[in-house]
Amino acid sequence: MSRLMPVMRRYGIAVVTVALFCFLAATTDGFWSQANFRNVLDQQSALLIAASFATITMIAGGFDLSVASVYVVAPLFALQVESATGNVPLAVLVGVAVGLSVGLANGIVVTVMKVNSFIATLATSFMVFGAGFLISDRSVLRTSTDAYPAIARTRFWGLTTATWIAFAVVVVAWVLLSRTRFGRHVYAVGGNAEAARLAGVPVARVQTIAFGLAGAAAGLAGVVSSSRALSALPSDDFSFVFGVIAAVVVGGTSIAGGEGAVWRTVAGAFFIALMVNGFNLHQVDPIWQRVIQGGVILGAVAIDSWTQRRPQ
Amino acid sequence: MLGVHPPDKGGLFLDGSPLQLSGPAEAAAHGLVGVAQELSLLPAMSVVDNIVLGSEERAGLFVNDRANRRRVESLIDRHGLSVPLDARVGSLSVADQQKVEILRALGRQSRLVVFDEPTARLASHEAVELRRTVRELADQGVAVVYVSHFLHEVLSVADSISIMRDGQIVRTGSAHQETHDSLVEAMTGRSIGDVFPPKSPPPDEDTPVVIRVEELSKDDQFHDVSFCIRAGEIVGLAGLVGAGRSEVAHAVYGAIRPRAGVVEMAGTRLSGSVQRGLANGISLIPESRRHQGLVAGRSVRDNITLPHLRRFAGRLGMRVKQEHAAAGEACREAGVRAESLSLPVNALSGGNQQKVLFARAMMGEPRLFIADEPTRGVDVGSKRAIYDVLNQLARSGCAILLVSSELEEVVKLSHRVLVMSQGRVVAEFAGDDMTEANILGAAFDAGGGPRRVFQSTPGERA
Repeated sequence: MSRLMPVMRRYGIAVVTVALFCFLAATTDGFWSQANFRNVLDQQSALLIAASFATITMIAGGFDLSVASVYVVAPLFALQVESATGNVPLAVLVGVAVGLSVGLANGIVVTVMKVNSFIATLATSFMVFGAGFLISDRSVLRTSTDAYPAIARTRFWGLTTATWIAFAVVVVAWVLLSRTRFGRHVYAVGGNAEAARLAGVPVARVQTIAFGLAGAAAGLAGVVSSSRALSALPSDDFSFVFGVIAAVVVGGTSIAGGEGAVWRTVAGAFFIALMVNGFNLHQVDPIWQRVIQGGVILGAVAIDSWTQRRPQ
Repeated sequence: MLGVHPPDKGGLFLDGSPLQLSGPAEAAAHGLVGVAQELSLLPAMSVVDNIVLGSEERAGLFVNDRANRRRVESLIDRHGLSVPLDARVGSLSVADQQKVEILRALGRQSRLVVFDEPTARLASHEAVELRRTVRELADQGVAVVYVSHFLHEVLSVADSISIMRDGQIVRTGSAHQETHDSLVEAMTGRSIGDVFPPKSPPPDEDTPVVIRVEELSKDDQFHDVSFCIRAGEIVGLAGLVGAGRSEVAHAVYGAIRPRAGVVEMAGTRLSGSVQRGLANGISLIPESRRHQGLVAGRSVRDNITLPHLRRFAGRLGMRVKQEHAAAGEACREAGVRAESLSLPVNALSGGNQQKVLFARAMMGEPRLFIADEPTRGVDVGSKRAIYDVLNQLARSGCAILLVSSELEEVVKLSHRVLVMSQGRVVAEFAGDDMTEANILGAAFDAGGGPRRVFQSTPGERA
């Protein structure tokens, strides 16, 4: 047990996710099929894209609620550009740029004006949601080219491009966080901002960049999602960011900052996705699914804080 | 004893019967309370509310503020510790906060009070007052455990002394039979002469000046601070808590942007940025290891290389192997004892954590080394190792600015001492004038007049 504890503490979420996978494979009809796996991966793509960079923001000590608003609004900008110019790469670029600018604005508000990041991004969320209604004239926007749907719906080796994009973004975030100077700075800033400052880390710049990247990733996630759905509609729906935060937190990244990893978020996302998949295959009432999902998130966070309190 | 850490083996006995504690609350119910080194107060609440917290007088469902206030007033009268009752605790000085913490412990009908380094953050006259209170408590029949690394305190306040080393009690005996030197010997396992190394050779007139500070000022923190340090010279910066020593150190390092004045290294003016300071070979050991120094939870290696990552940055991300080797090398130089560089830094002992900061600083190949309270919260054995490192640095031609509240440390290591009071450098001592009495005298004498320079030839005494 004493040898098992540290392993469980570090890799607990991965172990649990694999266990859930094996359990579903053994007990559930229809789970073990290529079509089902493909579907799960495709459905998770947007969430993974946004969550991998939201992880970096959270490790840097920030909390970004505006991910949901960017996810909703960036594709509206992209689709407007597409219908105006017919230029799909430009449309994607604009969608990502919208996210990047919202993120950088968040970062500046948080670091320069010292507004708590939860409040700051809540406020910018409302502004961005509002901009979405303005740019779309409160109506559903549909794609007008063949190229835009192809962004997410093309197939390579059986998997959709949405899945491949998500894979690429996860790898980029992972490498950025674990193998670069920026990544080290992110951990230091989130773990102890004053110590980081005295060690010469440009704290404000690191946090601003982290917010900017999270915004850009959320923009890309929105574009991919609208490409899958062939349309985008303005709303003020915060639910996407809750999914993102759930994945990050269930993975074991600390809300207090300074600790966490991109692989954790991937594991957390798949844990939740497999759970939902299992429920659906067993035809569990979606209302009950929510109740259980909430309980699981609560449990994950409770276990995390319990293990952190145990002596080394 | 206070129920914070459950023991693996052995037990506690209260009035002869065994006692099992599930936590601090149960300990408090038995009259066992502690005054911690790290404050555990609620900064947003008033002094009264903090003191009565958890044992409020009630009238029915509601808190009886008047009764609470009376209780606190009588407590203050009895012990002579005065603090403004209605102030928000967060707005008080650290010393006053410490008093609140002590009053809280005293207000609980305690039978045993554990003081854990209670004076570490107090100015010396306040420490005297506190020791008087502790004595009074003992005379009233309360058992007191007084944990301190200030040996003169222990000697003056205690009836019997237990000496610990490496988690074991070396011996317990009457305080009358102990002296300062006998305590140090028992704590370190070596004789007193070994605590401080011999001084490194002082620089002479021809030695180049490494850093020149001229009329550095910052609003309420320090005014017209000027000094220079030569290569290989150790300059002590002494003064009372709040005299502005750390602020000056930070301004020289670049972490505080001064309002006026010049910091110049080898003809280059530095301009209030940590990155500039680091690039010019300034290293800082900050005062608070936990808040300003280490990133807890990150590995020893990450903590050491944090300011130096640029040199390990390759085109394809960090060159981790090279980084690991360099961190290992720095650990050897600074004498860090760690099983592995991948351990989280907070798994190390206080002394080793401090050495991690030294390893980090030395990796920058500093030309100016600023050590702010380098031995705070460090065991006596590690102190010697840290002094050796400082001396070694000086011998190799590094200029050193040593900020310390431990006068003995300043006197035994420095070639020259600057004394600060109320944000100004009020005196400078060298040679035989560099005594604890002189330094203290200058630190308390806050006349603010022109700076007195004492430079004496050997044999003269002030």
